[in-house]
Amino acid sequence: MASEEDVLRTEIRWSYVVAGATALILGAILFAGLARGINPPSNLERIDPKTLHLTGEFAEGNLGTRVAPNGDVTVRIVTTQFAFVPQCVVVPTGRRVTLRFASPDVIHGVLVAGTNVNTMVIPGYVAQVHSTFTKTGDLLTPCHEYCGLGHSQMWAVVRAVPPDRFAADAEGRANCDRL
Amino acid sequence: MIASRRLVLAHLWTAFIAFAAACVLGAWQMWVRSPLRPPLATPENYFLSVTAHGSAMAYVLTTFFIMGFGYYVAETALGRPLPRPRIAWAAFWIAMLGTLLALGTVLSGRATVLYTFYPPMTGSAVYYVGLVLVVVGSWVWVGLMVEAMRRWKKAEPGRPVPLAMFATVANAIMWAWTTVGVAAELLFQVIPAALGLVQSVDVGLSRTLFSWTLHAIVYFWLFPAYIAFYTMAPAAAGGRLYSDTMGRLTFVLFLLYSLPVGMHHLFMDPEHSTGFKFLQMVLTAFVAVPTLLTVFTITASMEIAGRLAGGRGLFGWIGALPWHRPMVLATGLSFVMLFFGGGGGLVNMAYGMNAMVHNTSWVTAHFHLIFGGTVVIMYFAIAYAIWPSLTGREAGSFTRQRLQLWLWFIGMMVTTLPWHWLGLLGQWRRVALFDYTNPTIAPWAPWVIVSFVGGLILLVSALLFVANLAGRHVPALRALPPRYAQSHHEASHVPTALNGFGFWNAAVAVLMLAAYGWPIAQFFVEPSPGAIVHRVDR
Amino acid sequence: MNAPAGSSRFTVLAGSAIGAILLGGMLFGFALLPIIQGRQAGIDAWTAFCRSLGIGPGTPAASSPADTAAPRPVSDVAWTGATLAALAGAAPAAPPEAAQQCASCHGEKGIAIDPAFPNLAGQSAAAIFKQLHDYRSGARAHDVMTPMAQGLAEEDLAPLAVHFASQPKGSLDVTARADRNLPVADLVFRGDPARGIPACQACHGARSGGPIETPTLSRQNEAYLADQLRRYASGERGNDIYGRMRGFAAKLTEDEIKRLAAFYAWTE
Repeated sequence: MASEEDVLRTEIRWSYVVAGATALILGAILFAGLARGINPPSNLERIDPKTLHLTGEFAEGNLGTRVAPNGDVTVRIVTTQFAFVPQCVVVPTGRRVTLRFASPDVIHGVLVAGTNVNTMVIPGYVAQVHSTFTKTGDLLTPCHEYCGLGHSQMWAVVRAVPPDRFAADAEGRANCDRL
Repeated sequence: MIASRRLVLAHLWTAFIAFAAACVLGAWQMWVRSPLRPPLATPENYFLSVTAHGSAMAYVLTTFFIMGFGYYVAETALGRPLPRPRIAWAAFWIAMLGTLLALGTVLSGRATVLYTFYPPMTGSAVYYVGLVLVVVGSWVWVGLMVEAMRRWKKAEPGRPVPLAMFATVANAIMWAWTTVGVAAELLFQVIPAALGLVQSVDVGLSRTLFSWTLHAIVYFWLFPAYIAFYTMAPAAAGGRLYSDTMGRLTFVLFLLYSLPVGMHHLFMDPEHSTGFKFLQMVLTAFVAVPTLLTVFTITASMEIAGRLAGGRGLFGWIGALPWHRPMVLATGLSFVMLFFGGGGGLVNMAYGMNAMVHNTSWVTAHFHLIFGGTVVIMYFAIAYAIWPSLTGREAGSFTRQRLQLWLWFIGMMVTTLPWHWLGLLGQWRRVALFDYTNPTIAPWAPWVIVSFVGGLILLVSALLFVANLAGRHVPALRALPPRYAQSHHEASHVPTALNGFGFWNAAVAVLMLAAYGWPIAQFFVEPSPGAIVHRVDR
Repeated sequence: MNAPAGSSRFTVLAGSAIGAILLGGMLFGFALLPIIQGRQAGIDAWTAFCRSLGIGPGTPAASSPADTAAPRPVSDVAWTGATLAALAGAAPAAPPEAAQQCASCHGEKGIAIDPAFPNLAGQSAAAIFKQLHDYRSGARAHDVMTPMAQGLAEEDLAPLAVHFASQPKGSLDVTARADRNLPVADLVFRGDPARGIPACQACHGARSGGPIETPTLSRQNEAYLADQLRRYASGERGNDIYGRMRGFAAKLTEDEIKRLAAFYAWTE
């Protein structure tokens, strides 16, 4: 039978293993954060859901993909009961894209299948995700948070196209119809 | 038989009836999601069912089981009658009234908001008030647990509080801290909205307050399982607890690190900054510590039992354990599920990888495996162990109990392993109907059917469990409570900090202030424009 | 209780460990990580530090895009607390004076005299308010309704809406119902996930919690319902905020439009 000191000694030894495992996990996360700039989608930008459709950025006519004069690609999407507006957005692969989401009504969530794009869309806040798409094709983009009885049928498509097929009009707009 | 048997039985039966009914709903929900298309499969019915399933499992099964088991431990571990039994009965009826109000409202279709509420969607106020009453009943229980320990300490100065009771009080204190978040959300935001007193809700604040509760509530559910690991399993296996101190340390670490970590549920939310998410992630990593300590201590305790039973060699002791005893079997199966569930949890907690799995079936799989598997299987084992001392009757043989435990384990694995896989494939959560003609979704169909089969196995096990408890038993020879495990070394001199909660309460306060102070204050410093209430009750 | 030897040492040790973990987490979360990430993204250290605390928008790891777009709303209605409170009020004892103009088409008690016009009796007050408001602002156009609505004052709208909402719906002729109740139950109650069409009831059903302005459809005139669905599908009517109805209606077949209109016209 182990003596009391033995018990204490094995326990302390095991504590080192536990501390080591915890440090390893945290170290890996820290490394990913430093080396690859990985961050959760935190933005803290407030916006009034009651007047979302009256504002500039998220008014219906201004949604979708837009290329700024400096070449930055920004996609603006409204998540509403029970649809994404627009239903289809186009993005170039291999280029950094900023996706901005807002909700005029209740909580929604969005993920783009097979990518790192995943965020909650909370009414009252702009959700913002940065991503570089690698795969081409029509990526399924469902609402992943309960938003009401039509939640199951709420999905959109992100159409990722190679840079040479990605074309914006004079205003910098690009949409699925033009492809 | 014990003095407060009727009180304990009333709590446990309430818990288990709600549990069995919720299992029926759970199996039906898997059927709806599968390509098989059952009758009545409309979104309206599906989400009503999800709300009822979640509310019954998360609020009724757990709260009533933990209260009942707490009363049981207070009487048996301390060897003293329960203080103020009348107040305990009053608390039971308050919680029962709350349960009936809440579940009745859900079934009437006036609170289809899922059990995590999702304001600005707002159901009938009766639903929320019912849940508040359940919590109020549990607050009375918290007070009674603290008082029972205080009375015992006064009567037995200088002696360490028995581990089972120390853990029960740790859970009670943690629960008091835990409920502050959701109570504030309900009382100051959701119920005023449900009563029509306010037209809009700050959703960022409501989510933050709920996150305060969301992780710790799971540890509230988990405590009884750990109490069984430390104080019941080693005795049932015929051995001793390897270290009493490790047990105490584990329970105070749960108290400490289950609270300032809830923001890991909000990693993907826009209303919090990266800094606080990182801080709470660091603190989250430390919840792995008590679990790893437990795995070590319980394995060592089991090894003592196995070697006492004649087991030899590096692994020979495992075979020598009395696996025919339900408590030992449940502990073994529970650890297997903890291994898978804990591994999945590491992915959830790392915020880079969280983006891959957030709100996918991976998360559903994780908490079903940890709570429904690891924890609930120990609820079964505890019920089997204490039933003779509650009813004066015992099972003629353990065969049906073992069958039930195995079915639960197999059912849980068959249900949740496909969910993990589907989550990685991108299957998202809280969906009533999938379009199985979509090329992305079509390959999921066989896996969803497999998990539906798992759901059916779970349902069979749940019904068998109720039958095992309700069925005719032989009169028990000795209707004594099960023995609590003796420590390998008599716990004669535990550090003062591990025989009370003063220091740990102060530490929780500091951590909560650091982790949640500014994240909550920011909503008052710069209020967000509210979201309009969307009523689902009219 | 006598403190055993080593008790205070344990407390100090435990307190220091807890403090060290907390301070370490803060150091990395609030300083090192955001400042290094900010440097990679061209954001100065102070801004990155503030962002990591949640002071000012944006993440420390990337710059946010600028926006200069001009608003182009499809409807001017915003569901502010004041508007909702006005609509939640009790119905006026006597019909508002303006209701007399409505009666010539929509009936004195809100039951339309011609099936081409919508019934207003028992309609949601928010729905009536929004349509009147949209006719006034020009977001929705109609030869008769536009001048009518523009003749009303802004403060007339809510009492009118509440008045008609409080009228009882017309009775249903059950004898005519049997052959009209065509099989579209799947679209109505389940929706079609393949086309991204939610169940109609997900918004239009009782206790659905859908958008505030959602009208109730049961016992609405069949011809009116079918006509509006076609107008949404073609884009001729476009005052639905974020195109919720334009999008779904465009996915419906002509046959489905007919069946849905008949279903709601002849359903409780």
